[in-house]
Amino acid sequence: MNDPVVDATSSTPDGPGPSPSQDAAGHPGALLRVENVSKVYGSGHTAVTALDDATMSVDQGEFVALLGPSGSGKTTLISIIGGLLSASSGSVHIGNVDVTTLGGKERTKFRAERVGFVFQSANLVPFLTARENLLYVATLVKTPKKAASQRADQLLEELGLAGRAKNLPEQLSGGERQRVAIGRALMNDPDLVLVDEPTAALDTALGRQVVQLLRREIKDRGKTGIMVTHDLRMVEYTDRVFEILDGHLTHVESPSALGH
Amino acid sequence: MAGPARLLSTGELTRSKGRFGAVVAALALIVFLVLVLGALADGLFYGATGAVRSSNATAYAFSDDAEGSLIRSRLDESDVAAFAAAPGVEAAGPIGVLLTGGEGPSGEVDLAVFGLDVGGPGTPTTLVEGRLPDPGETGVAAVDTRLEDEGVTLGSQVSVGEVSVEVVGFVSDTAYQLQPTVWTSVADWRAMRDAVRPELRGQPTSINAVALVTESGASLADIAAAKPGTTVLTADEVGLAIPGVAQQKSTLNSIIYTTVAVATLVVALFFALLVLEKRELFAALKALGTSTGALGRAVFVQAIVATVLGIVLGTIVARLFGLIIPSTVPTLFRTDTLIQIAIFTLVAGVIGAAFSLRRIARIDPATAIGGTL
Repeated sequence: MNDPVVDATSSTPDGPGPSPSQDAAGHPGALLRVENVSKVYGSGHTAVTALDDATMSVDQGEFVALLGPSGSGKTTLISIIGGLLSASSGSVHIGNVDVTTLGGKERTKFRAERVGFVFQSANLVPFLTARENLLYVATLVKTPKKAASQRADQLLEELGLAGRAKNLPEQLSGGERQRVAIGRALMNDPDLVLVDEPTAALDTALGRQVVQLLRREIKDRGKTGIMVTHDLRMVEYTDRVFEILDGHLTHVESPSALGH
Repeated sequence: MAGPARLLSTGELTRSKGRFGAVVAALALIVFLVLVLGALADGLFYGATGAVRSSNATAYAFSDDAEGSLIRSRLDESDVAAFAAAPGVEAAGPIGVLLTGGEGPSGEVDLAVFGLDVGGPGTPTTLVEGRLPDPGETGVAAVDTRLEDEGVTLGSQVSVGEVSVEVVGFVSDTAYQLQPTVWTSVADWRAMRDAVRPELRGQPTSINAVALVTESGASLADIAAAKPGTTVLTADEVGLAIPGVAQQKSTLNSIIYTTVAVATLVVALFFALLVLEKRELFAALKALGTSTGALGRAVFVQAIVATVLGIVLGTIVARLFGLIIPSTVPTLFRTDTLIQIAIFTLVAGVIGAAFSLRRIARIDPATAIGGTL
């Protein structure tokens, strides 16, 4: 590569790590197994390959980053993993379920029960309080009311939001909103937590706090987390970093190898 | 356990009161307008047809050229016997009608004088006070309760020309062409007619129509055959044949249906905007595992709540408005009309909300991820 442009994905002072498919072989019992997943939009000569033959594995209890510039295919990959988008080919196993074979309604149910999402801009329900935003997702999986209330209160307490439970999103700061979104993602005790640019709307200090909190919550519960980011500063809180560029998963790094 | 639809709909209804207040107000205005139009339609219809609807007659015989109008019809007293003998007729009696100005205790009044064999076919069934004239009794009358507004009480004299009758009873809902009725003997009616219509004085046995009590299932054509040159119509048909009644009814009903259609449009537009505004949120909620059905149910619950509130509010305002409408404007607020309009409006609201379903179904949960960066 003689490309003189230095971007986030190529700043690798210690040299590139193994390719994700080599790495996947070393994780035979992984919770998430992405195998040869491609996504092509359109057909014929207007076809655009958004994701090309992606293979990766993430163990239970790991918090990994998916790092790439905008347009690299990281959104496509995370959407396929989360059952929001169908793959053109390949398979995605979460535990023993192949997400790519699920029908529309099954995918909706699967997402509600086994995947937690944290979106870029928290995307809370604006007319529900912090606590109700958590209870909302519990209704999707028919959690008994009492158990849901207890869990919501416990999560809000852990996230430092006990005093804000009855506030509407508009009465919360950006960081607080993102914390509520983390609580919402964990509410239904999912296997996998998918996080999409959680710090996009926050300043650096607040962004770090949120990602730290996210790591703690995921680690304490033994969940598996994948965070999509283009921000190199946020990868230090993750266990491993998958780099993606132009639709290819290029290599896996340790965060320290990417650190400044 | 609260489902996702309930949480979403009640959360938004209670915390976005302003915007829902706006659509409730719009619906209330529509319901108010429709109810007032309905009251006017009912007022005109019931005011025009009371004398026919509240009588014990099931059919009326007219001369052929009358086109179902009591006023225009000309028959003779001798025809009554022919109809009484016709197949399927239980009883027949003479009817004379005179629309005229008269004199009550407080001055001039518009009147519709009905001459008949009181107690026989054509007699009102809605006596509310006093008594009806006895068969063969002259010089007395039962009058419509509307005349109470003109100062008429039991024992009052009501006169047409120089002919007076004493009021011995009140009957309700018996107006004819929006004029209060006077129910008296054929002889008194004819004397009043002769007093104000000198040109008819030479017809001592003429009447307008023959009131009939028919057996159920009787053939009206067979009855009409008893006297050539006559037509027999049911009481309902006679009501609609009163000049203007059918036209008023259809005009006002068209306005009512159009206005209800506007309600559909209001609800459809409101929820279309609401869904458009919440595309991003709905995409995120779908990503979190909310079904299109749950989001649709939330919209339906909101539409029904908003419509019901609009109906209640519109009804209250319409009834209050009814209290200040001058009594010269014929209005009648009927519960069955209210129920009908409420059902129409509710259906309009549900249909309006249904237009948003497709829009909700088309929202792609995948758009919740990525997006702005």
